Amino acid sequence: MKKRIILLISLLCFLITGCNEEKEKLVLATEASFAPFEYYQENNIVGVDIDIAREIAKELGMELEIKDVYFDSIINEVKTGKSDIGAAGISYTEERSREVNFTINYMDAKQVLVIRKNSNIKKIDDLFKKKIAVQLGTVADDYLTSNYPNIEIIREKKFLAAIEDLIDYKVDGVLMDEIPAKELLNDNLMILDEPLVVDHYGMVISKNNQELLDVCNKVITRLKEEGKIDEMLLSHMGITTKKDNKSLYDKFYDSIIYDSRYIFILEGLRNTLIIAIGAVILGVIIGTTMAIIRNVHDTKGKFKILNYLARTYITVIRGTPSILQLMIIYYVIFKTSNVSIILVGILSFGINSGAYVAEIVRGGINSVSEGQKEAGFALGLSYLQVMKHIVIPNALRNILPALGNEFITLVKETSVGAYIGIVELTKASDIIASRTYDYFFPLMIIALIYLCITLVLTKIFAKIEKRLNHVRN
Amino acid sequence: MLEIKNLKKNFGKKKVLKGINLTIEKGELVGIIGPSGCGKSTFLRSINYLEKPSFGHILLDGIEIRDNDKLRLMRRRIGMVFQQFNLFSNMNVLDNIIFAPVTLNIMSKESAIKKAREMLKKINLLDKEKFYPNELSGGQKQRVAIIRTLLMEPEIILFDEPTSALDPEMIGEVTNLMREIAKTKMTMIIVSHEMHFIKNFCTRVLFMDDGKIIEDGSSKEIFNHPKDERLKTFLSKIKNI
Repeated sequence: MKKRIILLISLLCFLITGCNEEKEKLVLATEASFAPFEYYQENNIVGVDIDIAREIAKELGMELEIKDVYFDSIINEVKTGKSDIGAAGISYTEERSREVNFTINYMDAKQVLVIRKNSNIKKIDDLFKKKIAVQLGTVADDYLTSNYPNIEIIREKKFLAAIEDLIDYKVDGVLMDEIPAKELLNDNLMILDEPLVVDHYGMVISKNNQELLDVCNKVITRLKEEGKIDEMLLSHMGITTKKDNKSLYDKFYDSIIYDSRYIFILEGLRNTLIIAIGAVILGVIIGTTMAIIRNVHDTKGKFKILNYLARTYITVIRGTPSILQLMIIYYVIFKTSNVSIILVGILSFGINSGAYVAEIVRGGINSVSEGQKEAGFALGLSYLQVMKHIVIPNALRNILPALGNEFITLVKETSVGAYIGIVELTKASDIIASRTYDYFFPLMIIALIYLCITLVLTKIFAKIEKRLNHVRN
Repeated sequence: MLEIKNLKKNFGKKKVLKGINLTIEKGELVGIIGPSGCGKSTFLRSINYLEKPSFGHILLDGIEIRDNDKLRLMRRRIGMVFQQFNLFSNMNVLDNIIFAPVTLNIMSKESAIKKAREMLKKINLLDKEKFYPNELSGGQKQRVAIIRTLLMEPEIILFDEPTSALDPEMIGEVTNLMREIAKTKMTMIIVSHEMHFIKNFCTRVLFMDDGKIIEDGSSKEIFNHPKDERLKTFLSKIKNI
């Protein structure tokens, strides 16, 4: 058993370090669902922003590494030094410039309103009391919030979700950047002629890195002078293939097979499994230790301070959402160290799970009859021997259903890993949907995969339970 | 020789044992009887420190049993059989029996298994050695529990109501095993409500009431010529049933 655990841990370490070789890298944070500025093509992130960033990396003699995170995480990525540059069609605002430095603007972008062709909105004044969707944390969001108090704003995590809302008649319009808006027009959608506001895209860089800012500005100025940025824009326009009346098979083909998109799902599955397995092992180790500390304290009166710490840990972890813990560990605790996000995921979910496992194990220990312990003591066995050979094995049998439950929850919990840029299953479906503009198949497929994982786990636990209960065949 | 000097036990304000003095010689078969709640089980459990006495001393061959690092060595010398058998439910019959002597390095695994099998054979349970406790009847469980204690080769065995949780038809198989053990000159202290068994089996009987030993005598004296009024009342009640 010990050998197997060691093997598993070394395998995990290999997988983690395997995805993280050390080289001189310029790390770019973006959200790759914003064609033509950044989007996936043949499993690579490409786009205008990426082209510019490559020029910058070339100037610095570094290799460009692209990190796909949520739009509202990008500023934080740069601020905490997790990434060097942020670029995702980020518009200059006063508020943002207080947090990070902006390069000179490399593109002017109009915020336009996307509406259905049959919409009764004909001009800006018609917006009064309407429902408008925006992407959370974008300029469109800021602009509507401060200028149109009478509009009901629906804030979506991704602007594709906002467009879905529009198609499904859940909102009356979507306010967004003009260029990507043009990319997703189809037979039913159109852009309202009047632009609401014009803003300027810049890349963002940490306030502590004046040097990099200077290089970026130099490169952007040069590219602008050479007219390269317009060339880049042209080369990325009209790439997205949109057919409105695709057959179900075409949709499936586009979602999974075209462009080898299943690779995202496989990568997502791999990361989900690595994080879940690592976190389960960590959670069980932490949880059992905490439970034993608390049990020794309750039965023998020792370990006062440790018991206090264990109780505090359990209270704090159970009292806060796991997504917050993940972000605190990544952006606060590991602020300056260059640690693999997969490892952060394992650590964060493991610590989270540990608190729940601790209470499950404690309940299990309490459920073992006092008599069996007394029989052990009466035979001259020590507390540790009684715990290890009698109480824990019996407790394990009693807590197995609850433990199984916790593991299953944990597998699904890993889906919030996308917040720090982990490409796990849910994120994988997001990436595919950002290319196909269709959520149906990606969501259905990963739902099926989660279901399969759960079924396998349930089967495994049923087997162990049967064995521990000494059921004879 | 087991000596008990002025043993007292309080549960909070409640005085359960109010000063017990007693000497038990090697090979004695001592029965303890008395009404429910008189403290007889607490007394028995105090002898191997499963209950920590509030006051007093317990000495085995002159060595005091205390809550110190020697306690585990002392406990090895005193076996205990419980009302609820308390077999380890995660281990099969054979492992239940050999676990403690092997873990404590008292004997090798091979010789422990050999001895355990010899004993299981004597009580006709050899074919059950791979069974788990939940697959055994109460009488079988208790006999396995007794063998588990015997394999530790104790000098004294404490029986805490060993037949109370058994169906009537199974009591015989347990008491018969106890009779076999008595032939080996083992010191046995038995708390039981099985008056008939105590009367025929024990060489010495203690009557306890209200945390004290009221009468201490041979089985004949206690059952046929009781002196104390409380003992007389107790015995008459039992006879009425």
